[in-house]
Amino acid sequence: MSMMSVEAQELINLEGERKTQRNLTHSRIRWVMLGLLALFCLVGGRLIQLGYANTATDFSGEARDLITATRPAILDRNGLELALDIRVPSLYAEPRRIIDVEEAVTKLTSVLPELDADWLRKRLTGDEGFVWVARELTPLQKDKIFRLGIPGLDFRTESKRYYPGGNEAAHLLGAVNRDNQGIAGFEKHLDTEDVALLQDLGLARDRALEPVRMSIDLRVQHAMTEQLADSLVRYHATAAAGVLMNVKTGEVIALASLPDFNPNEPATALEPVDGRKDARINRITAGTFELGSTFKTITMAAALDSGVVKLTDSFDARFPVRFGRFSINDFHGKHTILSVPEIYKYSSNIGTIKVMQAFGAENYRAFLTRLGFDDPLTVELPETTRSNIPAKFSEVGAATASFGAGLATTPMHMVAALGALVNGGNYVPPTLYPRTEAAAEALYRPVVSEATSERVRYLLRLNALDGSGSHGNKIAKGYRIGGKTGTAEKVIDGRYSKDKNLSIFASAFPLDAPQYAMVIMVDEAEAENERSGRTAGWNAGEMTGRIVQHIAPMLGIFPNLDATIDQALVPRELR
Amino acid sequence: MIRGLNYLLILTSFLALVGVYALKYQTVDTANEKLALQRHIEKQEGDLSLLKADWAYLNQPAHIAPIVSRHADTLGLAIIGQAQFIHITDIPMRTAQTDDDALTELFKSLDAGVDPIAVLIEASAQ
Repeated sequence: MSMMSVEAQELINLEGERKTQRNLTHSRIRWVMLGLLALFCLVGGRLIQLGYANTATDFSGEARDLITATRPAILDRNGLELALDIRVPSLYAEPRRIIDVEEAVTKLTSVLPELDADWLRKRLTGDEGFVWVARELTPLQKDKIFRLGIPGLDFRTESKRYYPGGNEAAHLLGAVNRDNQGIAGFEKHLDTEDVALLQDLGLARDRALEPVRMSIDLRVQHAMTEQLADSLVRYHATAAAGVLMNVKTGEVIALASLPDFNPNEPATALEPVDGRKDARINRITAGTFELGSTFKTITMAAALDSGVVKLTDSFDARFPVRFGRFSINDFHGKHTILSVPEIYKYSSNIGTIKVMQAFGAENYRAFLTRLGFDDPLTVELPETTRSNIPAKFSEVGAATASFGAGLATTPMHMVAALGALVNGGNYVPPTLYPRTEAAAEALYRPVVSEATSERVRYLLRLNALDGSGSHGNKIAKGYRIGGKTGTAEKVIDGRYSKDKNLSIFASAFPLDAPQYAMVIMVDEAEAENERSGRTAGWNAGEMTGRIVQHIAPMLGIFPNLDATIDQALVPRELR
Repeated sequence: MIRGLNYLLILTSFLALVGVYALKYQTVDTANEKLALQRHIEKQEGDLSLLKADWAYLNQPAHIAPIVSRHADTLGLAIIGQAQFIHITDIPMRTAQTDDDALTELFKSLDAGVDPIAVLIEASAQ
């Protein structure tokens, strides 16, 4: 019994034990389930969180290298490419992965003979992870190197700037460096604008940018460059430059300066010419010159606009003008009493001084300011300079300045001023971007009256018909061209040289409804043959004629040989 | 019943396993395909940029001008002269009276089935 009771007792105990055991298991399972549930909640929560997280999936620029940064294509006004990007392979090496340096050097120099073996050996030895070996290869070179099968060498595609026109618009476009940053010209201007910003944001990489259009007409640019290059041969000139501007919109249609450089190889811009290092500068915007008698146009316009001098007036040009020890005489002296149009036509220094004195040196200085000669150039090139004009003219200073001596300006200032004088009297700042006439009108700054503009047009045309501009006019007959020559003696070692001249022709056409102004400049031109002269009319004037004859049809200007057009240009008081 | 459920669950997990793996490899394949396409596009973009550059170079006046001057003599090329332009209003109107009789004759012969021009051509061909 006792046994039974013990058994029973044990049984009960056993039963109780099992029950506690089961309870324990149950609670353990519950804890585990709770734990798992918590875990699932955690995972689920995280999943939901990830689902809501907004990841920028479209930021492809970030992971890319800076070297693939692209630049927008530059087009001329008709859509012809002036500059564009091409993709080229570049070779790099990982020196720590190169097994046999000697073998790699031998093989590589067989494909790229321009590489120096010692330099290459040094370059490929070491523990570095990345070194450039050769940048901007041709696809053929890439293929050959690929076939060499050297470990540790690889290619990376880079964007390279390419200028299909070569030297043609070099000074306008400028150049870029190896990392595709603009270092000169319009390219540098673009970087200061918005390309740099886009590249910084990582948006300009490997992505087509909107092409940039310029105001340049490549055909006209070519015609001008061709004539300038021709002048270096024909007149044995050392340099030549030219600029053509639309007088109504201020758009620069062509701008060239020789000697130039190849923008595809920017280093050529620094190559000296005859030992002169600055020979390849942009003479139109970055060089200041004494533009000589072309300033007589400005003086006449100032005089006529002041109202003090009229076209019907006459001035005594019989005797040289004396200032103390100095005396100023005429180059082609007539030594007689000259009317205002005659002073202009014969380019009389004496007469011009008298005209200037009639309305005052101070007024003349103020007029130069009004025509923008003191302002910095607005044209979108970094290579610009300011004019060098005394702030206040002395008596002699004003006299020489009236015929363009003793003051230096850029040809760009001149073409803009001339544009204002012929277009009806409104100064419009020159630009390299296309601009409509309506947009330009908003920028117009009146400088002279319409009546003065009309008289300036008459004087310019008169000089082309009877004066020093007739050589050019003969060639460009029918295109109603008019202009003023200037032959400035060059300053060499602080003295005016007698045999080295700078010849300038500042012109406008067609003068019955002016559309374009042009300044052509030839440095140290010689006579073409025994029968021709050395002055501007023979070289810069004839070049202008040839350029106009070539480009006028491109610009939609119709030749008109009707003589009544010239008669209509004569102002009422002279008819 | 539990056992049946267990088998079912094992089967589903196995199927899910196979499915997930298949999906994974498919994704990898697609990614590779995408990469290959991207490479292809990049290469073609590169080729295109070269072709564009070629086209731009060939269209440059600086490239065309030497060709023109080389063939200027044989082809009689020159810069267009002022005299070569003429206004449309300068072209004279037809002044001479039309030859009515000849026209009537022509129409008559055409109606009769004889084309005088065709006759001329045939005559010259023989």
